[in-house]
Amino acid sequence: MSEVTGTTWTVYDANSMTQAEVYGHVLCDIGEERDDVVGLTADLAKSTKIGLFGEKFPERFFNVGIAEQNLFGVAAGMALSGLTPFVSTMAAFASMRACEQVRTDICYQNLNCKIIATHGGISFGTAGSTHNAQEDVAIMRSFPNMTVIIPADGVETANAVRACVDWDGPVYIRVGRGFEPTWYDSEEYGFQIGKAVTVSEGTDITLICCGVTVLQAAEAAKALKAEDGLSVRVLNLHTIKPLDEETILKAVQETRRIITFEEHTVHGGLGSAVADVIAESGKGCAFEKVGLPDAFSLVGYPEDLYAHYKLDTNGIIEKVREVMGRDFEEDEDWEDEV
Amino acid sequence: MTENRTHLATRILLKALFPVMKVVVADDPKMKKRFEGVTARVRFAVACDGDSLGTDVVFNDGALFVDDSMEGPPDVSFRFKSPEAFNAFMAGKPVIPGIRGWRHPGLIGKMVSLLLAMKILMPDARPKQEEKQRLKVKMIIYMITTALSQYNKGGDPEMSRWTGKQPDRIYQMSVDGEEIAAYVRVKAGKTKAGRGMYTRRRPFVHICFNGIQGALPVLMGDVEFVEALGRQLVTVEGSPEYAANLNDYMQRIQALIV
Repeated sequence: MSEVTGTTWTVYDANSMTQAEVYGHVLCDIGEERDDVVGLTADLAKSTKIGLFGEKFPERFFNVGIAEQNLFGVAAGMALSGLTPFVSTMAAFASMRACEQVRTDICYQNLNCKIIATHGGISFGTAGSTHNAQEDVAIMRSFPNMTVIIPADGVETANAVRACVDWDGPVYIRVGRGFEPTWYDSEEYGFQIGKAVTVSEGTDITLICCGVTVLQAAEAAKALKAEDGLSVRVLNLHTIKPLDEETILKAVQETRRIITFEEHTVHGGLGSAVADVIAESGKGCAFEKVGLPDAFSLVGYPEDLYAHYKLDTNGIIEKVREVMGRDFEEDEDWEDEV
Repeated sequence: MTENRTHLATRILLKALFPVMKVVVADDPKMKKRFEGVTARVRFAVACDGDSLGTDVVFNDGALFVDDSMEGPPDVSFRFKSPEAFNAFMAGKPVIPGIRGWRHPGLIGKMVSLLLAMKILMPDARPKQEEKQRLKVKMIIYMITTALSQYNKGGDPEMSRWTGKQPDRIYQMSVDGEEIAAYVRVKAGKTKAGRGMYTRRRPFVHICFNGIQGALPVLMGDVEFVEALGRQLVTVEGSPEYAANLNDYMQRIQALIV
């Protein structure tokens, strides 16, 4: 593995460490260990990196052509026959073009089918709204039986892919385009499906993140500590469903200020899931969801779009400063208790 | 507004030390018995540049509370000619206040005994009995948290700068295994002292003493804070830098009032 981590990376890192690339390699490893694992795609073997598996196990790899509905129907049939299909296509196609097949063919029957959806969010920003997936998490988490994971980087993708093999039922793993920087420098940090990872401890505010925003929030937390003296907790909530409610409520109780950051519409994704937990708990806190607004995303390079939507380090810092100015309780009695 | 150091000391004594009398009357069985059934108002007035600072110690059927509104006629009053005189008196120096209300000699006697009981807070007071040790620790923790808040409210420039840049934070003190806890809430220059554990959020800094025997040597200054951490007399959860700042302010307050 490369030693380069943080906000800078090289072409070498992009080729060896990004989410999709790591996924391809890990799937090859799993293929060595498990005969029941098969790979499927809809003419996106190269873009989604499942082609690596196809090169190594051609007899267990199926390209159904540009026919996403068929892709998931075939995968459902394979799962019913005892295989463990890994299906790779772009997130926009998996969640919307093949929406009914994922819901009815796979989730309704609770089939052991693993969907690796690449180009999630606005990571393929220059391709425009047709290829952006800013609604996929909202759609997928609404399906019964579905598990939804958004890894922070390539290392976490490796953990998620390995963990999902033995996870019962359908899993949707949403990754980026393949040029994302890495945050974790080792796979040994206690990844568990459904359990948030505490990236940094803090008591002033909690930033709940997933996907590429984890690294940005971690960098923001460092800057906010140095510049503003703030104690910022960062949670990597990689599993959107099932949600780690215990960790969220602990953060509410202990910091009373929560901001969620996600590369997804603010309607129905991570922020909404966290908001549901807070609202149902009856606990009060200052809260804000930061993500893509209720509009089709602008078109452009992902880094420019992240900056525009306040999902980069500077944007996160700005949002934290804004929320720190808000009260989390109405107690404005400053007389000492005697 | 920044008060001069003498006035700041007077403010801390009136607002932080006097309320702790409540602990003595409630927790010391002898004192409790002594004030049983007493209903009275005792005023401590300090003349200050033509104005008057002070507070009333009010007993309501033996229960004590302080009332700094100083409204209503007192039964007994202790009058000090200046803040310097009051500060010296509270530091145990030979200053005699003017006393009014001699028609209540019993009340004056009781009040003097209560003032003498407050000497337990002096650095050289080393109680041997476990109950007295517990009382001292509780009184110090209550007094310190209120004193920190008052030090800020009195406008100490450094502390104002320190609190001014902080978001809503809790500095908690507690004694492990005992129901002794108090906190200071800080928010953008404002401070509030409170009793007990703050339950609405996790403290930014939590100074937890390892029982009464852990707390006493630290609070009495027998052991340096850093050494106390090493000896596990106290544990600090949260920012060590801010905990050190807090400790620094505590020492400044002690130097100011003792």
